[in-house]
Amino acid sequence: MTPRRLAVLMMSSFVLVIAVCGPWLSAVDPNTPVAGPFEPSSGAHPLGTDVLGRDTLARVLDGGRALIMQAAVATMLGSVIGLTVGLGAALTRRRTVARFAVLGVDAIAVFPAILLLLVLAAGLPGGGAAVVAASVVVSVPFSVRVIRECTTAIIATEHARSAWARGDALMVRLRHDVLPALAPAALAEAGIRFVAAVQLAATAGFLGLGASAPAANWGRMVQENSAGITVNPLPVLVPATLLVLLAVGVTFLLDHITGPLLGERDRVGPDLVGVTR
Amino acid sequence: MRLASWLTMRVAAAAATLIVLSAVVFWATEVLPGDAVGTSAGPDATDAERAAIRVSLGLDRPAGERYLEWIGQAVQGNLGESLLTGRKVSEVIGDRLLASVAVLLPAAVMIVVLAVVLGSAAGLRAGGRWDRALSAITLGLVGSSDFLLATGLLVVFTAWWPVLPAVALVPAGDELWQHPDLVALPAIALALGGFGAAMRLLRASVAQTTGTGFAEFARLNGVRGVRYVWMMVSNAAAPALHGLSIVLAGLLGGSIVVETLFNVPGVGFELSQAVAERDVPLVQGLSLTLGAATLAILLAGDLCAAMLGRHQASAPGGAR
Repeated sequence: MTPRRLAVLMMSSFVLVIAVCGPWLSAVDPNTPVAGPFEPSSGAHPLGTDVLGRDTLARVLDGGRALIMQAAVATMLGSVIGLTVGLGAALTRRRTVARFAVLGVDAIAVFPAILLLLVLAAGLPGGGAAVVAASVVVSVPFSVRVIRECTTAIIATEHARSAWARGDALMVRLRHDVLPALAPAALAEAGIRFVAAVQLAATAGFLGLGASAPAANWGRMVQENSAGITVNPLPVLVPATLLVLLAVGVTFLLDHITGPLLGERDRVGPDLVGVTR
Repeated sequence: MRLASWLTMRVAAAAATLIVLSAVVFWATEVLPGDAVGTSAGPDATDAERAAIRVSLGLDRPAGERYLEWIGQAVQGNLGESLLTGRKVSEVIGDRLLASVAVLLPAAVMIVVLAVVLGSAAGLRAGGRWDRALSAITLGLVGSSDFLLATGLLVVFTAWWPVLPAVALVPAGDELWQHPDLVALPAIALALGGFGAAMRLLRASVAQTTGTGFAEFARLNGVRGVRYVWMMVSNAAAPALHGLSIVLAGLLGGSIVVETLFNVPGVGFELSQAVAERDVPLVQGLSLTLGAATLAILLAGDLCAAMLGRHQASAPGGAR
Protein backbone atom coordinates (compact mmCIF):
# COMPACT_ATOMS: atom_id res chain seq x y z
CA MET A 1 0.00 0.00 0.00
CA THR A 2 1.43 3.33 -1.09
CA PRO A 3 1.62 6.24 1.41
CA ARG A 4 -1.03 8.12 -0.56
CA ARG A 5 -3.52 5.27 -0.36
CA LEU A 6 -2.77 4.86 3.33
CA ALA A 7 -3.55 8.55 3.87
CA VAL A 8 -6.84 8.22 2.00
CA LEU A 9 -7.71 5.09 3.96
CA MET A 10 -7.01 6.89 7.26
CA MET A 11 -9.16 9.81 6.12
CA SER A 12 -12.17 7.64 5.27
CA SER A 13 -11.83 5.60 8.46
CA PHE A 14 -11.62 8.83 10.46
CA VAL A 15 -14.99 9.95 9.04
CA LEU A 16 -16.52 6.53 9.73
CA VAL A 17 -15.24 6.57 13.33
CA ILE A 18 -16.63 10.09 13.91
CA ALA A 19 -19.98 9.03 12.49
CA VAL A 20 -20.34 5.81 14.46
CA CYS A 21 -18.74 6.82 17.79
CA GLY A 22 -19.68 10.52 17.69
CA PRO A 23 -22.86 10.29 19.79
CA TRP A 24 -20.81 8.78 22.65
CA LEU A 25 -18.07 11.41 22.46
CA SER A 26 -20.24 14.48 22.72
CA ALA A 27 -20.76 16.03 26.16
CA VAL A 28 -23.26 18.70 25.05
CA ASP A 29 -26.88 17.92 24.13
CA PRO A 30 -27.17 18.39 20.35
CA ASN A 31 -30.78 19.61 20.50
CA THR A 32 -30.64 22.36 23.17
CA PRO A 33 -29.88 25.95 22.20
CA VAL A 34 -26.80 27.11 24.11
CA ALA A 35 -26.12 30.56 22.60
CA GLY A 36 -27.34 32.93 19.88
CA PRO A 37 -27.67 31.68 16.28
CA PHE A 38 -24.58 31.44 14.05
CA GLU A 39 -22.05 32.50 16.68
CA PRO A 40 -18.46 32.05 15.45
CA SER A 41 -16.18 29.48 17.05
CA SER A 42 -15.11 30.15 20.61
CA GLY A 43 -13.55 28.26 23.50
CA ALA A 44 -16.87 26.91 24.73
CA HIS A 45 -18.16 26.05 21.23
CA PRO A 46 -15.19 25.09 18.99
CA LEU A 47 -17.33 25.10 15.82
CA GLY A 48 -19.68 27.89 16.91
CA THR A 49 -23.44 27.55 16.90
CA ASP A 50 -26.02 26.75 14.22
CA VAL A 51 -29.27 28.32 13.01
CA LEU A 52 -31.07 27.74 16.35
CA GLY A 53 -28.05 28.47 18.53
CA ARG A 54 -27.23 24.80 19.12
CA ASP A 55 -23.64 23.61 19.51
CA THR A 56 -22.34 22.71 16.03
CA LEU A 57 -19.71 20.26 17.28
CA ALA A 58 -22.33 18.28 19.20
CA ARG A 59 -24.58 18.16 16.16
CA VAL A 60 -21.74 17.07 13.87
CA LEU A 61 -20.86 14.27 16.31
CA ASP A 62 -24.51 13.25 16.55
CA GLY A 63 -25.51 13.56 12.90
CA GLY A 64 -23.51 10.88 11.13
CA ARG A 65 -24.57 7.65 12.77
CA ALA A 66 -28.08 7.53 11.29
CA LEU A 67 -26.65 7.97 7.79
CA ILE A 68 -24.06 5.23 8.24
CA MET A 69 -26.60 2.86 9.79
CA GLN A 70 -29.16 3.39 7.01
CA ALA A 71 -26.45 2.92 4.41
CA ALA A 72 -25.07 -0.20 6.12
CA VAL A 73 -28.49 -1.83 6.36
CA ALA A 74 -29.25 -0.96 2.73
CA THR A 75 -25.86 -2.33 1.60
CA MET A 76 -26.32 -5.60 3.45
CA LEU A 77 -29.87 -6.12 2.20
CA GLY A 78 -28.66 -5.26 -1.30
CA SER A 79 -25.82 -7.76 -1.04
CA VAL A 80 -28.16 -10.53 0.11
CA ILE A 81 -30.57 -9.91 -2.77
CA GLY A 82 -27.77 -9.30 -5.26
CA LEU A 83 -25.94 -12.52 -4.33
CA THR A 84 -29.14 -14.58 -4.36
CA VAL A 85 -30.45 -13.34 -7.70
CA GLY A 86 -27.01 -12.97 -9.31
CA LEU A 87 -25.77 -16.44 -8.32
CA GLY A 88 -29.15 -17.95 -9.13
CA ALA A 89 -29.27 -16.37 -12.56
CA ALA A 90 -25.71 -17.48 -13.36
CA LEU A 91 -26.02 -21.03 -12.04
CA THR A 92 -29.53 -22.00 -13.12
CA ARG A 93 -30.11 -23.92 -16.32
CA ARG A 94 -33.50 -22.29 -16.80
CA ARG A 95 -32.24 -19.50 -19.01
CA THR A 96 -35.64 -17.84 -19.54
CA VAL A 97 -36.40 -17.61 -15.82
CA ALA A 98 -32.96 -16.12 -15.19
CA ARG A 99 -33.42 -13.59 -17.96
CA PHE A 100 -36.77 -12.45 -16.67
CA ALA A 101 -35.51 -12.23 -13.09
CA VAL A 102 -32.69 -9.92 -14.21
CA LEU A 103 -35.02 -7.89 -16.43
CA GLY A 104 -37.50 -7.49 -13.57
CA VAL A 105 -34.82 -6.29 -11.18
CA ASP A 106 -33.52 -3.89 -13.83
CA ALA A 107 -36.91 -2.41 -14.65
CA ILE A 108 -37.47 -0.19 -11.65
CA ALA A 109 -33.85 0.91 -11.32
CA VAL A 110 -33.95 2.98 -14.50
CA PHE A 111 -35.72 5.65 -12.48
CA PRO A 112 -33.64 8.23 -10.58
CA ALA A 113 -32.99 7.27 -6.97
CA ILE A 114 -34.29 10.56 -5.63
CA LEU A 115 -37.58 10.11 -7.48
CA LEU A 116 -38.07 6.69 -5.87
CA LEU A 117 -36.94 8.10 -2.54
CA LEU A 118 -39.57 10.85 -2.66
CA VAL A 119 -42.33 8.45 -3.75
CA LEU A 120 -41.50 6.02 -0.95
CA ALA A 121 -41.13 8.86 1.57
CA ALA A 122 -44.66 9.97 0.70
CA GLY A 123 -45.89 6.58 1.91
CA LEU A 124 -43.49 6.02 4.82
CA PRO A 125 -43.11 9.46 6.40
CA GLY A 126 -40.69 10.31 9.17
CA GLY A 127 -38.38 7.31 9.26
CA GLY A 128 -35.32 5.72 7.75
CA ALA A 129 -37.34 2.96 6.08
CA ALA A 130 -37.98 4.93 2.90
CA VAL A 131 -34.28 5.77 2.61
CA VAL A 132 -33.22 2.15 3.07
CA ALA A 133 -35.89 0.86 0.68
CA ALA A 134 -34.98 3.37 -2.04
CA SER A 135 -31.26 2.59 -1.68
CA VAL A 136 -31.89 -1.13 -1.98
CA VAL A 137 -34.21 -0.84 -4.96
CA VAL A 138 -31.92 1.37 -7.03
CA SER A 139 -28.66 -0.43 -6.22
CA VAL A 140 -29.70 -4.09 -6.43
CA PRO A 141 -29.57 -4.28 -10.27
CA PHE A 142 -25.94 -3.11 -10.21
CA SER A 143 -25.14 -5.82 -7.67
CA VAL A 144 -27.03 -8.48 -9.63
CA ARG A 145 -25.23 -7.65 -12.84
CA VAL A 146 -21.74 -7.60 -11.32
CA ILE A 147 -22.30 -10.84 -9.39
CA ARG A 148 -23.87 -12.56 -12.37
CA GLU A 149 -21.09 -11.56 -14.78
CA CYS A 150 -18.35 -12.59 -12.35
CA THR A 151 -20.05 -15.89 -11.54
CA THR A 152 -20.53 -16.68 -15.22
CA ALA A 153 -16.79 -16.15 -15.73
CA ILE A 154 -15.92 -18.24 -12.66
CA ILE A 155 -18.03 -21.28 -13.57
CA ALA A 156 -16.43 -21.33 -17.01
CA THR A 157 -12.96 -21.91 -15.49
CA GLU A 158 -11.29 -25.35 -15.64
CA HIS A 159 -11.48 -26.10 -11.93
CA ALA A 160 -15.14 -25.15 -11.67
CA ARG A 161 -16.02 -27.22 -14.74
CA SER A 162 -14.19 -30.27 -13.44
CA ALA A 163 -15.96 -29.93 -10.08
CA TRP A 164 -19.25 -29.86 -11.94
CA ALA A 165 -18.20 -32.82 -14.12
CA ARG A 166 -17.29 -35.03 -11.18
CA GLY A 167 -20.74 -34.36 -9.74
CA ASP A 168 -20.00 -32.20 -6.70
CA ALA A 169 -23.13 -30.96 -4.94
CA LEU A 170 -24.20 -27.40 -5.61
CA MET A 171 -23.36 -26.21 -2.09
CA VAL A 172 -19.89 -27.77 -2.27
CA ARG A 173 -19.22 -26.08 -5.60
CA LEU A 174 -20.43 -22.76 -4.21
CA ARG A 175 -18.31 -23.10 -1.09
CA HIS A 176 -15.06 -24.21 -2.73
CA ASP A 177 -15.14 -23.02 -6.33
CA VAL A 178 -17.42 -20.01 -6.72
CA LEU A 179 -17.52 -17.95 -3.52
CA PRO A 180 -13.75 -17.63 -2.86
CA ALA A 181 -13.21 -16.28 -6.35
CA LEU A 182 -16.28 -14.09 -6.16
CA ALA A 183 -15.50 -12.47 -2.80
CA PRO A 184 -13.26 -9.57 -4.00
CA ALA A 185 -15.76 -8.44 -6.62
CA ALA A 186 -18.68 -8.82 -4.22
CA LEU A 187 -16.91 -6.72 -1.56
CA ALA A 188 -15.89 -4.06 -4.05
CA GLU A 189 -19.37 -3.66 -5.46
CA ALA A 190 -20.78 -3.56 -1.92
CA GLY A 191 -18.32 -0.74 -1.14
CA ILE A 192 -19.50 1.24 -4.16
CA ARG A 193 -23.12 0.74 -3.12
CA PHE A 194 -22.30 1.77 0.46
CA VAL A 195 -20.93 5.13 -0.67
CA ALA A 196 -23.95 5.66 -2.91
CA ALA A 197 -26.29 4.78 -0.03
CA VAL A 198 -24.57 7.24 2.34
CA GLN A 199 -24.98 9.95 -0.28
CA LEU A 200 -28.63 9.09 -0.78
CA ALA A 201 -29.27 9.12 2.97
CA ALA A 202 -27.60 12.54 3.23
CA THR A 203 -29.65 13.78 0.29
CA ALA A 204 -32.79 12.56 2.05
CA GLY A 205 -31.79 14.57 5.13
CA PHE A 206 -31.09 17.55 2.91
CA LEU A 207 -34.58 17.32 1.40
CA GLY A 208 -36.10 17.06 4.89
CA LEU A 209 -37.05 13.36 4.58
CA GLY A 210 -35.92 10.64 6.98
CA ALA A 211 -35.95 11.18 10.74
CA SER A 212 -37.94 14.25 11.75
CA ALA A 213 -36.73 17.75 12.53
CA PRO A 214 -34.70 18.10 15.73
CA ALA A 215 -32.56 15.01 15.07
CA ALA A 216 -29.14 16.00 13.75
CA ASN A 217 -28.21 14.77 10.26
CA TRP A 218 -25.22 15.88 8.17
CA GLY A 219 -27.41 16.32 5.10
CA ARG A 220 -30.00 18.38 6.93
CA MET A 221 -27.29 20.49 8.65
CA VAL A 222 -26.09 21.63 5.23
CA GLN A 223 -29.63 22.66 4.32
CA GLU A 224 -30.77 24.32 7.54
CA ASN A 225 -27.57 26.31 8.09
CA SER A 226 -26.95 27.56 4.54
CA ALA A 227 -28.83 30.78 5.37
CA GLY A 228 -26.09 31.82 7.81
CA ILE A 229 -23.15 30.93 5.60
CA THR A 230 -21.71 34.46 5.69
CA VAL A 231 -21.89 34.66 9.49
CA ASN A 232 -20.65 31.22 10.52
CA PRO A 233 -19.85 28.88 7.61
CA LEU A 234 -18.70 26.02 9.87
CA PRO A 235 -22.15 24.37 10.42
CA VAL A 236 -22.35 23.91 6.62
CA LEU A 237 -18.70 23.31 5.78
CA VAL A 238 -17.88 20.69 8.44
CA PRO A 239 -20.68 18.18 7.66
CA ALA A 240 -20.28 18.78 3.89
CA THR A 241 -16.52 18.18 4.12
CA LEU A 242 -17.03 14.98 6.10
CA LEU A 243 -19.46 13.66 3.48
CA VAL A 244 -17.11 14.55 0.62
CA LEU A 245 -14.08 13.02 2.39
CA LEU A 246 -15.94 9.76 2.94
CA ALA A 247 -17.32 9.52 -0.59
CA VAL A 248 -14.18 10.56 -2.42
CA GLY A 249 -11.95 8.52 -0.11
CA VAL A 250 -13.84 5.27 -0.54
CA THR A 251 -14.31 5.86 -4.28
CA PHE A 252 -10.57 6.52 -4.68
CA LEU A 253 -9.62 3.39 -2.73
CA LEU A 254 -12.05 1.21 -4.64
CA ASP A 255 -11.05 2.73 -7.98
CA HIS A 256 -7.60 1.16 -7.71
CA ILE A 257 -8.95 -2.17 -6.54
CA THR A 258 -11.94 -2.38 -8.84
CA GLY A 259 -10.24 -1.17 -12.04
CA PRO A 260 -8.95 -4.58 -13.13
CA LEU A 261 -11.80 -6.35 -11.35
CA LEU A 262 -14.91 -4.71 -12.74
CA GLY A 263 -13.90 -2.83 -15.90
CA GLU A 264 -14.56 0.81 -16.68
CA ARG A 265 -18.33 0.52 -17.07
CA ASP A 266 -18.90 -0.71 -13.54
CA ARG A 267 -16.14 1.17 -11.85
CA VAL A 268 -17.36 4.68 -12.57
CA GLY A 269 -20.82 3.25 -12.75
CA PRO A 270 -22.99 5.30 -15.06
CA ASP A 271 -25.63 3.03 -13.59
CA LEU A 272 -24.63 4.35 -10.22
CA VAL A 273 -25.25 7.88 -11.36
CA GLY A 274 -28.84 6.76 -11.00
CA VAL A 275 -28.08 5.51 -7.51
CA THR A 276 -26.75 8.73 -6.09
CA ARG A 277 -28.62 11.15 -8.28
CA MET B 1 -36.71 -4.04 -40.82
CA ARG B 2 -34.74 -5.46 -37.92
CA LEU B 3 -34.49 -1.96 -36.48
CA ALA B 4 -38.27 -1.57 -36.60
CA SER B 5 -38.96 -4.78 -34.66
CA TRP B 6 -36.17 -3.92 -32.21
CA LEU B 7 -37.73 -0.51 -31.70
CA THR B 8 -41.18 -2.04 -31.09
CA MET B 9 -39.67 -4.32 -28.45
CA ARG B 10 -37.94 -1.43 -26.74
CA VAL B 11 -41.05 0.74 -26.69
CA ALA B 12 -43.08 -2.15 -25.29
CA ALA B 13 -40.46 -2.70 -22.57
CA ALA B 14 -40.49 1.01 -21.68
CA ALA B 15 -44.30 0.97 -21.48
CA ALA B 16 -44.19 -2.10 -19.22
CA THR B 17 -41.62 -0.36 -17.00
CA LEU B 18 -43.83 2.70 -16.74
CA ILE B 19 -46.74 0.48 -15.67
CA VAL B 20 -44.51 -1.03 -12.95
CA LEU B 21 -43.60 2.49 -11.79
CA SER B 22 -47.25 3.54 -11.74
CA ALA B 23 -48.06 0.54 -9.54
CA VAL B 24 -45.18 1.42 -7.18
CA VAL B 25 -46.28 5.06 -7.04
CA PHE B 26 -49.88 4.08 -6.36
CA TRP B 27 -48.90 1.52 -3.73
CA ALA B 28 -46.55 3.96 -1.96
CA THR B 29 -48.97 6.86 -1.90
CA GLU B 30 -52.29 5.14 -1.28
CA VAL B 31 -51.66 1.77 0.37
CA LEU B 32 -48.75 2.61 2.69
CA PRO B 33 -49.61 4.40 5.98
CA GLY B 34 -49.00 7.98 4.78
CA ASP B 35 -52.12 8.20 2.60
CA ALA B 36 -54.36 11.14 1.72
CA VAL B 37 -56.52 10.84 4.85
CA GLY B 38 -53.79 12.32 7.05
CA THR B 39 -53.54 15.37 4.77
CA SER B 40 -57.24 16.05 4.53
CA ALA B 41 -58.12 15.29 8.15
CA GLY B 42 -55.36 17.26 9.86
CA PRO B 43 -53.48 16.13 12.96
CA ASP B 44 -56.36 16.55 15.46
CA ALA B 45 -58.96 14.38 13.73
CA THR B 46 -60.67 11.61 15.67
CA ASP B 47 -60.81 8.05 14.38
CA ALA B 48 -64.47 8.51 13.37
CA GLU B 49 -63.67 11.64 11.35
CA ARG B 50 -60.77 9.87 9.66
CA ALA B 51 -63.03 6.96 8.78
CA ALA B 52 -65.62 9.35 7.31
CA ILE B 53 -62.96 11.05 5.16
CA ARG B 54 -61.70 7.65 4.10
CA VAL B 55 -65.18 6.78 2.82
CA SER B 56 -65.72 10.17 1.17
CA LEU B 57 -62.39 9.92 -0.70
CA GLY B 58 -63.32 6.38 -1.73
CA LEU B 59 -60.27 4.94 0.08
CA ASP B 60 -62.33 2.11 1.66
CA ARG B 61 -62.60 0.33 -1.69
CA PRO B 62 -60.07 -2.38 -2.66
CA ALA B 63 -56.68 -1.03 -3.78
CA GLY B 64 -56.69 -2.96 -7.07
CA GLU B 65 -60.00 -1.44 -8.13
CA ARG B 66 -58.83 2.08 -7.25
CA TYR B 67 -55.56 1.53 -9.11
CA LEU B 68 -57.35 0.49 -12.32
CA GLU B 69 -59.66 3.49 -12.09
CA TRP B 70 -56.75 5.86 -11.46
CA ILE B 71 -54.63 4.48 -14.31
CA GLY B 72 -57.64 4.59 -16.64
CA GLN B 73 -58.13 8.29 -15.88
CA ALA B 74 -54.38 8.98 -16.16
CA VAL B 75 -54.25 7.47 -19.65
CA GLN B 76 -56.95 9.96 -20.69
CA GLY B 77 -54.81 12.79 -19.30
CA ASN B 78 -56.86 13.29 -16.14
CA LEU B 79 -54.51 13.08 -13.16
CA GLY B 80 -56.95 14.48 -10.62
CA GLU B 81 -56.73 17.67 -8.59
CA SER B 82 -54.32 18.88 -5.94
CA LEU B 83 -55.65 18.25 -2.42
CA LEU B 84 -54.36 21.59 -1.18
CA THR B 85 -54.95 24.09 -3.99
CA GLY B 86 -57.66 22.28 -5.96
CA ARG B 87 -55.81 22.95 -9.23
CA LYS B 88 -55.73 20.30 -11.92
CA VAL B 89 -52.54 18.25 -11.67
CA SER B 90 -52.04 18.27 -15.45
CA GLU B 91 -52.20 22.08 -15.40
CA VAL B 92 -49.59 22.27 -12.63
CA ILE B 93 -47.29 19.95 -14.60
CA GLY B 94 -47.72 22.07 -17.75
CA ASP B 95 -46.79 25.20 -15.78
CA ARG B 96 -43.72 23.68 -14.18
CA LEU B 97 -42.31 21.81 -17.15
CA LEU B 98 -40.94 24.88 -18.93
CA ALA B 99 -38.89 26.02 -15.93
CA SER B 100 -37.40 22.52 -15.54
CA VAL B 101 -36.47 22.36 -19.22
CA ALA B 102 -34.91 25.85 -18.96
CA VAL B 103 -32.45 24.43 -16.41
CA LEU B 104 -32.04 20.90 -17.78
CA LEU B 105 -31.32 21.83 -21.40
CA PRO B 106 -28.28 24.10 -20.70
CA ALA B 107 -27.03 21.50 -18.22
CA ALA B 108 -27.33 18.73 -20.83
CA VAL B 109 -25.52 20.84 -23.44
CA MET B 110 -22.70 21.58 -20.98
CA ILE B 111 -22.40 17.89 -20.11
CA VAL B 112 -22.18 16.84 -23.76
CA VAL B 113 -19.60 19.51 -24.63
CA LEU B 114 -17.43 18.90 -21.55
CA ALA B 115 -17.65 15.12 -21.87
CA VAL B 116 -16.79 15.08 -25.57
CA VAL B 117 -13.93 17.61 -25.41
CA LEU B 118 -12.30 16.42 -22.18
CA GLY B 119 -13.08 12.73 -22.77
CA SER B 120 -11.51 12.78 -26.24
CA ALA B 121 -8.49 14.76 -25.05
CA ALA B 122 -7.87 12.38 -22.15
CA GLY B 123 -8.55 9.24 -24.19
CA LEU B 124 -6.20 10.18 -27.06
CA ARG B 125 -3.37 10.68 -24.56
CA ALA B 126 -4.32 7.97 -22.08
CA GLY B 127 -1.90 7.78 -19.17
CA GLY B 128 -0.60 11.32 -19.69
CA ARG B 129 -0.54 14.10 -17.13
CA TRP B 130 -3.84 15.59 -18.35
CA ASP B 131 -5.48 12.23 -18.27
CA ARG B 132 -4.46 11.55 -14.68
CA ALA B 133 -5.44 15.01 -13.46
CA LEU B 134 -8.86 14.77 -15.12
CA SER B 135 -9.31 11.27 -13.77
CA ALA B 136 -8.73 12.47 -10.19
CA ILE B 137 -11.03 15.48 -10.61
CA THR B 138 -13.90 13.54 -12.13
CA LEU B 139 -13.59 10.84 -9.48
CA GLY B 140 -14.12 13.54 -6.88
CA LEU B 141 -17.11 14.96 -8.76
CA VAL B 142 -18.71 11.55 -9.31
CA GLY B 143 -18.21 10.77 -5.62
CA SER B 144 -19.86 13.93 -4.27
CA SER B 145 -23.61 14.10 -4.37
CA ASP B 146 -25.51 16.85 -6.15
CA PHE B 147 -26.63 18.69 -3.06
CA LEU B 148 -23.03 19.14 -1.89
CA LEU B 149 -21.89 20.45 -5.29
CA ALA B 150 -24.89 22.75 -5.48
CA THR B 151 -24.35 24.06 -1.93
CA GLY B 152 -20.67 24.57 -2.71
CA LEU B 153 -21.53 26.67 -5.76
CA LEU B 154 -24.10 28.55 -3.72
CA VAL B 155 -21.52 29.42 -1.07
CA VAL B 156 -18.86 30.48 -3.56
CA PHE B 157 -21.08 32.52 -5.88
CA THR B 158 -23.38 34.16 -3.38
CA ALA B 159 -21.43 34.59 -0.15
CA TRP B 160 -17.77 34.89 -1.13
CA TRP B 161 -17.94 36.20 -4.68
CA PRO B 162 -21.48 37.52 -5.09
CA VAL B 163 -22.01 37.72 -8.84
CA LEU B 164 -25.03 35.45 -9.28
CA PRO B 165 -28.40 35.39 -7.49
CA ALA B 166 -28.81 32.60 -4.91
CA VAL B 167 -32.52 32.08 -5.37
CA ALA B 168 -34.30 31.99 -8.71
CA LEU B 169 -36.95 34.65 -8.15
CA VAL B 170 -38.63 34.96 -11.53
CA PRO B 171 -40.39 38.34 -12.03
CA ALA B 172 -44.16 37.93 -12.45
CA GLY B 173 -45.22 37.35 -16.05
CA ASP B 174 -41.74 36.26 -17.16
CA GLU B 175 -40.51 32.76 -17.88
CA LEU B 176 -37.33 31.38 -16.32
CA TRP B 177 -35.51 30.94 -19.67
CA GLN B 178 -35.64 34.70 -20.21
CA HIS B 179 -33.24 35.15 -17.29
CA PRO B 180 -29.91 33.38 -17.99
CA ASP B 181 -28.40 34.66 -14.73
CA LEU B 182 -31.04 32.74 -12.76
CA VAL B 183 -30.48 29.57 -14.81
CA ALA B 184 -26.67 29.65 -14.56
CA LEU B 185 -26.05 28.30 -11.04
CA PRO B 186 -28.59 25.41 -11.09
CA ALA B 187 -27.47 24.36 -14.58
CA ILE B 188 -23.76 24.46 -13.67
CA ALA B 189 -24.46 22.45 -10.51
CA LEU B 190 -26.22 19.74 -12.53
CA ALA B 191 -23.53 19.72 -15.22
CA LEU B 192 -20.69 19.37 -12.68
CA GLY B 193 -22.38 16.38 -11.10
CA GLY B 194 -23.15 14.69 -14.40
CA PHE B 195 -20.25 15.15 -16.79
CA GLY B 196 -17.71 13.09 -14.83
CA ALA B 197 -19.26 9.70 -15.52
CA ALA B 198 -19.98 10.49 -19.18
CA MET B 199 -16.46 11.80 -19.69
CA ARG B 200 -14.84 8.73 -18.14
CA LEU B 201 -16.86 6.40 -20.35
CA LEU B 202 -15.89 8.26 -23.54
CA ARG B 203 -12.27 8.38 -22.37
CA ALA B 204 -12.18 4.61 -21.86
CA SER B 205 -13.83 4.01 -25.21
CA VAL B 206 -11.47 6.37 -27.07
CA ALA B 207 -8.43 4.86 -25.34
CA GLN B 208 -9.61 1.40 -26.39
CA THR B 209 -10.15 2.54 -29.99
CA THR B 210 -6.67 4.09 -30.28
CA GLY B 211 -5.23 0.74 -29.26
CA THR B 212 -6.91 -1.22 -32.08
CA GLY B 213 -5.23 -2.40 -35.27
CA PHE B 214 -7.11 -0.06 -37.57
CA ALA B 215 -6.05 2.96 -35.51
CA GLU B 216 -2.40 1.96 -35.80
CA PHE B 217 -2.88 1.38 -39.53
CA ALA B 218 -4.35 4.89 -39.86
CA ARG B 219 -1.43 6.39 -37.95
CA LEU B 220 1.10 4.51 -40.10
CA ASN B 221 -0.69 5.80 -43.20
CA GLY B 222 -0.11 9.36 -42.02
CA VAL B 223 -3.64 10.20 -40.85
CA ARG B 224 -3.07 13.13 -38.52
CA GLY B 225 -4.71 16.04 -36.78
CA VAL B 226 -8.44 16.69 -36.91
CA ARG B 227 -9.08 13.76 -39.27
CA TYR B 228 -7.41 11.30 -36.90
CA VAL B 229 -9.27 12.69 -33.86
CA TRP B 230 -12.59 12.46 -35.69
CA MET B 231 -11.83 8.90 -36.82
CA MET B 232 -11.11 7.79 -33.27
CA VAL B 233 -13.93 9.66 -31.54
CA SER B 234 -16.65 8.72 -34.04
CA ASN B 235 -15.72 5.05 -33.71
CA ALA B 236 -15.64 5.27 -29.92
CA ALA B 237 -18.95 7.12 -29.63
CA ALA B 238 -21.49 4.29 -29.67
CA PRO B 239 -20.70 2.68 -26.29
CA ALA B 240 -20.25 6.09 -24.65
CA LEU B 241 -23.57 7.30 -26.04
CA HIS B 242 -25.43 4.69 -24.03
CA GLY B 243 -23.69 5.90 -20.87
CA LEU B 244 -24.46 9.50 -21.79
CA SER B 245 -28.17 8.75 -22.01
CA ILE B 246 -28.05 7.18 -18.54
CA VAL B 247 -26.28 10.30 -17.22
CA LEU B 248 -28.86 12.58 -18.84
CA ALA B 249 -31.72 10.54 -17.41
CA GLY B 250 -30.04 10.78 -14.01
CA LEU B 251 -30.13 14.57 -14.35
CA LEU B 252 -33.85 14.42 -13.70
CA GLY B 253 -33.13 13.04 -10.22
CA GLY B 254 -30.47 15.67 -9.60
CA SER B 255 -32.86 18.37 -10.77
CA ILE B 256 -35.17 17.58 -7.84
CA VAL B 257 -32.38 18.51 -5.40
CA VAL B 258 -31.04 21.45 -7.36
CA GLU B 259 -34.46 22.97 -8.00
CA THR B 260 -35.31 22.65 -4.31
CA LEU B 261 -32.07 24.34 -3.26
CA PHE B 262 -32.27 27.22 -5.74
CA ASN B 263 -36.07 27.57 -5.59
CA VAL B 264 -36.41 26.95 -9.33
CA PRO B 265 -40.18 26.65 -9.93
CA GLY B 266 -39.85 23.33 -11.80
CA VAL B 267 -41.31 19.82 -11.67
CA GLY B 268 -38.73 18.57 -9.16
CA PHE B 269 -39.28 21.48 -6.76
CA GLU B 270 -43.05 20.96 -6.96
CA LEU B 271 -42.60 17.23 -6.28
CA SER B 272 -40.52 17.73 -3.14
CA GLN B 273 -43.08 20.28 -1.91
CA ALA B 274 -45.95 17.90 -2.67
CA VAL B 275 -44.23 15.09 -0.74
CA ALA B 276 -43.67 17.39 2.25
CA GLU B 277 -47.35 18.34 2.20
CA ARG B 278 -48.61 14.80 1.39
CA ASP B 279 -50.54 16.08 -1.61
CA VAL B 280 -51.17 12.59 -3.00
CA PRO B 281 -52.60 13.32 -6.51
CA LEU B 282 -49.81 15.82 -7.14
CA VAL B 283 -47.12 13.36 -6.02
CA GLN B 284 -48.59 10.70 -8.30
CA GLY B 285 -48.85 12.96 -11.35
CA LEU B 286 -45.41 14.54 -10.97
CA SER B 287 -43.57 11.29 -10.31
CA LEU B 288 -45.24 9.63 -13.31
CA THR B 289 -44.20 12.60 -15.47
CA LEU B 290 -40.58 12.39 -14.30
CA GLY B 291 -40.60 8.60 -14.76
CA ALA B 292 -41.95 8.88 -18.30
CA ALA B 293 -39.33 11.54 -19.13
CA THR B 294 -36.56 9.26 -17.81
CA LEU B 295 -37.75 6.39 -19.99
CA ALA B 296 -38.02 8.64 -23.05
CA ILE B 297 -34.40 9.82 -22.63
CA LEU B 298 -33.10 6.26 -22.20
CA LEU B 299 -35.07 5.13 -25.25
CA ALA B 300 -33.69 7.97 -27.36
CA GLY B 301 -30.15 7.13 -26.20
CA ASP B 302 -30.59 3.44 -27.10
CA LEU B 303 -31.97 4.38 -30.50
CA CYS B 304 -29.03 6.70 -31.28
CA ALA B 305 -26.51 4.08 -30.13
CA ALA B 306 -28.23 1.43 -32.26
CA MET B 307 -28.13 3.65 -35.36
CA LEU B 308 -24.45 4.49 -34.81
CA GLY B 309 -23.70 0.81 -34.34
CA ARG B 310 -25.56 -0.09 -37.52
CA HIS B 311 -23.63 2.51 -39.47
CA GLN B 312 -20.40 1.06 -38.14
CA ALA B 313 -21.19 -2.53 -39.00
CA SER B 314 -21.75 -1.61 -42.64
CA ALA B 315 -18.75 0.73 -42.81
CA PRO B 316 -15.85 -0.46 -45.00
CA GLY B 317 -13.17 -2.12 -42.96
CA GLY B 318 -15.59 -3.17 -40.21
CA ALA B 319 -14.21 -0.70 -37.72
CA ARG B 320 -15.03 -2.26 -34.41
